[in-house]
Amino acid sequence: METRNKRPYLLIGVAVYLLIPLIYLLLADFPERTVLKNAISFLTLGAYFLMLGQFYLTRINKVTLQGNKFSSVIKKHKIIGYIFIPILILHPFLIVVPRFFESGVDPSDALKTILTTYTSSGLIVGMVAMILMICLGITSMFRAKLRLPYRTWRITHGILSILFVITATWHAIDLGRHTDIVLSIYMILLAATGIFFLLKLYIMNPQNKGGRK
Amino acid sequence: MAIKSIDGCIGCGECVKSCPTDVIRLDPKTKKAVITYPEDCQICHLCRMNCPVDAITIDPTKSIPVVVSWG
Amino acid sequence: MSENEKKGLSRRQFLGLATGVVGAAALTGLGMKIRWNTKEREIDLDTFTSEETGTDVLVIGGGMAGLFASVKAHDAGAKVHLVSKGRLGSSGQTPFAKGIFVYDEKTASVTLDEFTDLVSKSAINTNNPVYTRQMAIHSKERVNELRDWGFFESPLYHKAFSKPINERNIPVSERIMITHLIKENGRIAGAAGFSIDEAKIHIFKAKSVILCTGAGGFKPNGFPICDLTHDGSIMAYKIGAKITGKEWNDGHSGSQDNPAACYDGWHGMFDRTPSVNGVEVHHDLGMDANYSAYILGNPVSSGPGSQMVEGGPYVPDGFTREMEEMGPPAIDGDQKGPKGPPPGDEDGRGAPPQNNDEGGAPPGMASAASGGASAGMAIHKSEGIVPINEKGESNIPGLYAAGDALGSHMAGGIYTQVGSSLAGSAVQGAIAAEAAAEYVKTVSLQSIPSSSVSAIKEEILAPLKRESGYTPAWVTQTLQGIMIPNFVLYIKKENLMKAALAYIEELRDHHMPMLRASNLHELRLAHETGNMIISAEMKLRASLMRTESRCSHYRLDYPDVDYDNWQAWINIYKGSDGQMKLEKQAFDAWPAQ
Repeated sequence: METRNKRPYLLIGVAVYLLIPLIYLLLADFPERTVLKNAISFLTLGAYFLMLGQFYLTRINKVTLQGNKFSSVIKKHKIIGYIFIPILILHPFLIVVPRFFESGVDPSDALKTILTTYTSSGLIVGMVAMILMICLGITSMFRAKLRLPYRTWRITHGILSILFVITATWHAIDLGRHTDIVLSIYMILLAATGIFFLLKLYIMNPQNKGGRK
Repeated sequence: MAIKSIDGCIGCGECVKSCPTDVIRLDPKTKKAVITYPEDCQICHLCRMNCPVDAITIDPTKSIPVVVSWG
Repeated sequence: MSENEKKGLSRRQFLGLATGVVGAAALTGLGMKIRWNTKEREIDLDTFTSEETGTDVLVIGGGMAGLFASVKAHDAGAKVHLVSKGRLGSSGQTPFAKGIFVYDEKTASVTLDEFTDLVSKSAINTNNPVYTRQMAIHSKERVNELRDWGFFESPLYHKAFSKPINERNIPVSERIMITHLIKENGRIAGAAGFSIDEAKIHIFKAKSVILCTGAGGFKPNGFPICDLTHDGSIMAYKIGAKITGKEWNDGHSGSQDNPAACYDGWHGMFDRTPSVNGVEVHHDLGMDANYSAYILGNPVSSGPGSQMVEGGPYVPDGFTREMEEMGPPAIDGDQKGPKGPPPGDEDGRGAPPQNNDEGGAPPGMASAASGGASAGMAIHKSEGIVPINEKGESNIPGLYAAGDALGSHMAGGIYTQVGSSLAGSAVQGAIAAEAAAEYVKTVSLQSIPSSSVSAIKEEILAPLKRESGYTPAWVTQTLQGIMIPNFVLYIKKENLMKAALAYIEELRDHHMPMLRASNLHELRLAHETGNMIISAEMKLRASLMRTESRCSHYRLDYPDVDYDNWQAWINIYKGSDGQMKLEKQAFDAWPAQ
């Protein structure tokens, strides 16, 4: 009975947040690059999209999660967060890794240049996003130790998420080598949808704010 | 055609400085590298090698007619 | 047909051909967005400011010679300022030079005297043995210093070059094109130029100037010298310095496939970290491939494969190359065994693809060779300012030169010791620096009259001020069409050179004064184009004067070495009437003072 109502949320999520962007990346006309470079780019972009997908794996998703066990959903939410936040933290380092295998600027010098360029907004916004993301990770990991009321924690988590997604999307659109107009619009749509439903949950259904007991 | 594209520029200006023939300039507004004088590109790849985020793609063809000694 | 008619015909033929080349070039350019001279001025002339800087020694150029000139002048107690059109270690030929020669008396196969003699023999006496020896003697010290600075650890040199400069707090001004040397009271007083980034004129007052401005070419396709236009020689010539070696040619060829792609043409050479090599004296980069292409037509294999053609440039005994000797070239210079063409020489530029490929592709296979990759450039260190002694000093007190800006004839009129060019630039930079540092102790900083300064500013900005005229890009392409054909620049004969000279004089008299720029990038191009025109005139006049063939100078009408009349270099200087004058300087003498 319950199984009958179960919706294939995972399949839909993977399609929207991974397959569609990946297929686009493979089909669109981007400059040819080595397998390693493409792997790093796709990993980073995939991690970003999965971060957007975190909205999908929460209670704000009333549509496709219907009939599924919430604890299993939130488990996936946590696993994705704990795996892909570190990847995004590492991505400035990953970008310079190919320089170990090809001629050019020394990888450590490249990293130094990346981390000390403050002239363009994209990098600064990216650094802000990075800090917000680390806060999201830490406050989640040490939620128990923080001893915050669940409601406070959840609002904090929600606000951090919104700020993170805005800055990260800004950064990705501004600096991402693959974020052309199509991918940018897709990113904005997914980010906006997530933020919209989160805000809707907070503002329209204040009675739900308490969430779980 | 010479430097073909710059994707993912962070605006550090390394390519501008390392280009012997002054092909690339930073856009004063966006602060990003722009292929400004491609006809002067000597296809030496110094910009690409100096870019910390490997943003530059180069094509071996020149964007203006090429004069050589015999054809 | 009379002799006169013949001459008339060949001149007319030449006119047709030259315009044909330019025309064809223009045709292939259809569809490209080349807007000859339709651009509006992008810069407000009223916003120009000027900055005056004073120093003891002004080093112009940030390549290998400029690095050592700055460091050694500083260490000898002088106040130094380095100014460069590009970036330290990232402009001119230095960034692409991957092999450096070291003479180590302990391990060398020959003595210093034997080495010098070997070079002289290959160069048919065109080298100046004083500079050949000097390079070998000091090469090891310079290479050791480079090693300390991390030069051999990266394919990019800016970082290693910056190390000693930063440690000494030597001020560096980059992306400034120096256009004028300033002479007051018969000696050097400074230099002037402009920034390519901001509307600013720079006046450098200096007791001494060391030109480390490199060589130059006609912005050719296939060699990374499009930023080098003999700027140093030409500005020195204008204030009375003597220029030598303009008749020599560097015979590098490129690839018919994408001839302009320097990086691709050298098959990853630019990716290498530099390395050292020992004694390896060749007779390379002459006119063999050009001669072969002239006689047989395309496709042609460049370099040593061309000995199947009868006649052609004379190669001294012991320096001819047999097919069997060819093989994988000694890319990094120091490999024993197979002697390929000179890739991996100091400037890392060997003959292009088909010779660099393992085993070497047969002629006509793979990519055929195209000529004139380095058009407008001579053999390293054979052209430039005439030295009056072994210290790189010019005939103008206070003006020194080093590296490819100095016509030291260190290697001679042919490419001899592999890797010696980079070594020679380092050595000469250091020696000129020490001489300049001594010199500045004896003189005071001169003031430059404001009338001189404003006249110079006027000349610098003139192309920006013109409302109509010709774009540097168009004049450059026209010049290329006149000079680069094999039958003008390389396989020389009197009629065609005279015809070409008529064209060049037209560019000089009518187009150079009408060069127009709409922004600072084009202002640089305008001044570079002017320098190329004067250099082209020098090349033609020197080549016409040298009525023999020797090393990389080949005359179809004088195909033999003339030991009776031409044991001499040709010096070019500006006469009191403003005209270009030429004189002979015997191989074993310093110039008359």
